[in-house]
Amino acid sequence: MKRAGNGASGARVAASKGVKFSTSPVLAVRLPIWRSRVVLFVLFAAFAALALRALWLQAMSTQFLQQQGKNRYERTIELPATRGKIMDRNGQVLASSIPVKAVWAIPDDVLKSPPEKLAALAKLLDMPELELRKKLDSDRTFVYLKRQVEMDVIEQIRKLDIDGLDTRKEYKRFYPQGEVMTHLVGFTNVEDVGQESMELAQQKTLVGTTGSRRVIKDRLGHIVEDVGLSKEPHDGRDLTLSVDSKLQYIAFSNIKAAVEKFHAKAGAALVLDVHTGEVLALANYPTYNPNDRTVLTGEQLRNRVMTDTFEPGSTLKPFTVALALESGRVTPATLFDTTLSGRFVVGDHTIRDSHAHGVINVSTIIQKSSNIGVSKMALAMPSQEMWEIFTKAGFGQQPKFGFPGAVAGRVRPYKAWRPIEQANMSFGHGISVSLIQLARSYMIFARDGDIIPLSFQKVSELPQGQQVISAKTAREIRAMLESVVSPEGTAAQAQVAGYRVGGKTGTAQKLINGRYSNSRYVGSFVGIAPMSNPRFIIAVMVDDPSSAVHTGGGVAAPTFAALAASALRAANVAPDSSVTDIIIPEHPLEDM
Amino acid sequence: MNVKINLLLVAVLVGCALLLVKTQYRARHLFIDLEANQQRARQLDIDWAQLQLDQSTLGKNARIEQIARSDLNMTPLTPARTQYLTKGAQ
Repeated sequence: MKRAGNGASGARVAASKGVKFSTSPVLAVRLPIWRSRVVLFVLFAAFAALALRALWLQAMSTQFLQQQGKNRYERTIELPATRGKIMDRNGQVLASSIPVKAVWAIPDDVLKSPPEKLAALAKLLDMPELELRKKLDSDRTFVYLKRQVEMDVIEQIRKLDIDGLDTRKEYKRFYPQGEVMTHLVGFTNVEDVGQESMELAQQKTLVGTTGSRRVIKDRLGHIVEDVGLSKEPHDGRDLTLSVDSKLQYIAFSNIKAAVEKFHAKAGAALVLDVHTGEVLALANYPTYNPNDRTVLTGEQLRNRVMTDTFEPGSTLKPFTVALALESGRVTPATLFDTTLSGRFVVGDHTIRDSHAHGVINVSTIIQKSSNIGVSKMALAMPSQEMWEIFTKAGFGQQPKFGFPGAVAGRVRPYKAWRPIEQANMSFGHGISVSLIQLARSYMIFARDGDIIPLSFQKVSELPQGQQVISAKTAREIRAMLESVVSPEGTAAQAQVAGYRVGGKTGTAQKLINGRYSNSRYVGSFVGIAPMSNPRFIIAVMVDDPSSAVHTGGGVAAPTFAALAASALRAANVAPDSSVTDIIIPEHPLEDM
Repeated sequence: MNVKINLLLVAVLVGCALLLVKTQYRARHLFIDLEANQQRARQLDIDWAQLQLDQSTLGKNARIEQIARSDLNMTPLTPARTQYLTKGAQ
């Protein structure tokens, strides 16, 4: 307490000698003056450096730093766009994309999880555990385990809680109509890119453009703010096809039945709308299921209506006759001697009829499908005119209906035609066409002499036709085609109860190794229904039937009849005939 | 006098600042709601597509025909068994 008393003067005093601390000579250190200057300077320099640094950060590298900051709190979100739906003319969905997930893994992490979890995972992914382990046995850090896994499975996988397993959003395309519609609709691959048919042809309109947006997310993952520019996603446009699901099913089930009944290699059927040129049905058999394409053969994939060309045979006869009628060379009543021997020699070749018909008129030539009759008619006409009517009807021309794989067929230039070739062509040999070309060419008979473009999409306004033959000639040919479908014609089996129909059969020998085969045929039938006011053109082709009957009249005509009967009823077309009993002669006329 | 105006302005400033905070908070909440609803709209779109797909699958002509034939014992119509009534006819 004494010290406290002594120290009352304010300065600290050495207790023993009474000398002030600050003036104590012992403690007085003589330092050179420059040292304090140096310290001062260093301190100043340090502050200056801080100021410079601050200036640098604030003014010179602001943008970089702000960018770095944004990168840490802003997120870019991909906005996916859905591929457009494909619908039939009545709005029924034929193809639709549903979000699914792809399951991917970091192999090393996943392999660390317990074996029973891996077994459960393999089961959920629907693959053997061995295969799963094989996929995981990889040096890579990213492995797709399975793509296009549906959402409910994903939920179950999530519950397994396996480390190193993650999912990625993608789309899977579903085709509810399956094999019935697939040759028309096509399918997409795992990347949602069209591979076949309309999916391929309309890829550009169907596919959407993905968008993106920059956002700020909060701690809980909610988006709290939009920042910067966002790019709107655009979904793909929906596509409405011209096809009618009901008619398509009718066409498909009938062609399937025909292929099975006649033990044929393949078959195809086509239904066109006479007024609008719309393709109402396009069926092929064999076919495939677009939802499960694990086994897929070229035979199944092949769209025979579009890609297969064949020699049409007698279905081409009406064109020769139409030309002869149009140019005034003949009338339906003009008589031709088709000879009683059933043979007609052109150069060193012989043209045969299946039956000897004797002297018959033009209408009967079509009704009985006389090769000799049309050959005589054709040989009286210049080859150029025949070539022109074939070309105008679309044969040998590249089709313009925007369908992948459609072929042009072949019509040789008329200058190279020899007389026998011209005669052959008049009844459809030495010329190749696809079924869709053949069906479309019958537009000139079903309509009043004009031909219109075909459309695979629903059309809103009637197309403009191009006149090929006069309306009068078209009517005369229609009457002949109707006579073909009668007990006296070659297509007695094409008769439809309650409706007037007409058409022409065709039987062509297949070319095997460059030679005409005597045992393999393509039977076809192109028909118009109903005759009183044509609405549909129906074409049927049966490829290589191996049953006892192989002619167009035997295999394709009854298929046409079954198809037309159901189609007319399904389309609510009023019956235009009171005939309900169909007479099919015991030994129908065959056409070659 | 001057001091009073300044105090008043300070009070107004603070008030505005607090209001801004509050508004920003509300804006964010509303934005989250909007997001959630947009998400719901997208989900409904997906559900709609799924339902359309189901409708198409269940309404497949092949399935209808099969059910009509086997379960309901129906047979196709033939003109022989059909009577057509024409309007205006006797």
